[in-house]
Amino acid sequence: MLRRRRISDVHAVAEVPSFASVAERHLDDVHGYLVYFTRDRDVAEDLTAETFEKALKQWRRFDPRRGSARTWLCQLARTVALDHFRAEDRRRRREGAYAAAEPGQPGDGLFGGLSPELERALAALSAGEREVIALRVLLDLDGDAAARVLGISVTSCSTRLSRALKKLEERMNADVAA
Amino acid sequence: MSPLNSEEIQAQIRSSSITASPELRARVRELAAAAPSAAPPRRELPWRRWSLVLVPACLAVALAASLAVGLATSDKDRQRSAAADEAKPTGTVFSTEAAHDAATLAAPPAAKTVGGAAGTGLRQQGRAQLYQSELTLKVKDLSTATKRVLRLTRSFNGYVKSVEYGSGSERGSAYIVVRVPIGSVQAALVKLSGFGTILDQHVSIQDVQPQFDKRFREMQGLRDQVAKLQAQLTAPTLSTDQRKALEDELVAARRQLITLQVAQARLQKQTSFATVEVDLRSSDKAVIVPVEPNRIQRALDRSGSILLDELKVVVYVLIVGAPLLMLAVLGFGSLRVRRRRTETRLLST
Repeated sequence: MLRRRRISDVHAVAEVPSFASVAERHLDDVHGYLVYFTRDRDVAEDLTAETFEKALKQWRRFDPRRGSARTWLCQLARTVALDHFRAEDRRRRREGAYAAAEPGQPGDGLFGGLSPELERALAALSAGEREVIALRVLLDLDGDAAARVLGISVTSCSTRLSRALKKLEERMNADVAA
Repeated sequence: MSPLNSEEIQAQIRSSSITASPELRARVRELAAAAPSAAPPRRELPWRRWSLVLVPACLAVALAASLAVGLATSDKDRQRSAAADEAKPTGTVFSTEAAHDAATLAAPPAAKTVGGAAGTGLRQQGRAQLYQSELTLKVKDLSTATKRVLRLTRSFNGYVKSVEYGSGSERGSAYIVVRVPIGSVQAALVKLSGFGTILDQHVSIQDVQPQFDKRFREMQGLRDQVAKLQAQLTAPTLSTDQRKALEDELVAARRQLITLQVAQARLQKQTSFATVEVDLRSSDKAVIVPVEPNRIQRALDRSGSILLDELKVVVYVLIVGAPLLMLAVLGFGSLRVRRRRTETRLLST
């Protein structure tokens, strides 16, 4: 079933939406983005809740004239996820364990019912690559909005996406050939 | 399965759906329920806009403050310099007899020095002296030099006593008599000497401390006499004639005391300010008579010097604070770079 998606994040919101309506509308978007980013559903759930807690505290700072609520929430989600990664990194260093934590196993619907080959290919990408795919493809954010979330230029964002997709294509095709 | 291209991969990703679990949805709904229903967001100005507002505001405040202070003090300066009566002496006036007896006996009654170069005639600190100096300068531009003398006098909180302009057929001249606070006279003379070539210079210092001390002793004696007479008048056994005689004596003593006090105060005022006679000469035939500035001009003058002082403070703060600021910026920059590197490393896994 196809989900209805916005074509682009337009800055056409003049009235101020309520937090509850924004949370209801964009919960799946934020959660999906975090699943792609962290490659772990459980972690993504916790981070999603944390994102909305943070969003509630900073709700008065949100200005609809500067961007859509979805972009703003994705920015917050990214910050929350990066804090999580840093904390995990510090913890692993303290414990002397340099091995990465075991992610959710691809192929069990981690990425929302994709083909097993595509799931494996996605899981093999780096977090940065998955993140740009989640923003540009899954959430269908335009170049400006995605670049704002990532904190990079539009050109860099496009380049990152192209590389990620190319890598995905190569892995999938290698998998299929194997 | 056939290989997929990029478009097909994207289409497949878009068609997928990741939904939040019911528990997560409930958790977020509970959170949202605590939020106000329609809280208007606060419009925050970015720091760049703040700086666009703050910098001109600070400049405007500095300017307004300097104008206000300049306006307020310009008239005060004028009153203070015009009326030598209000001026406070700087270390010469009333000296107690005990402290200055030895100095009084040892000091010469008058001292006159003549110097042709840079001698300013050092006055003795702590003594009452009548200080008079005459300075003859050759200047290139008489009008400018005259204005400078007047400005310098005001800057030392002095005042102009008289200005005379000569219009000889051969050359022009200006004779200016100014009064400058005794504590600043030496600095003023040094600066005046720099306005042109010194042709002649005289300094006259008359030590009037003995007069001060003598009068002080007399006043003290009279005060004692007054106290003694008052004590005598309280005696109940006095006859009418005796009482009358004592009262007459008391009145006379008081009158004499007041006379001495007035004379002492007059001398004090005279010794508070030094008289400097500046004779400017040039080959200019005519001289533009500088007009004594009005209050607005004086206020602007003063505001200008206050603004300059404010600028000096800002420059000083910048000079002292610049290395610290740079360190802070470098520290902040290096933290950001480190953070970015960590982020890149984490995102590449």
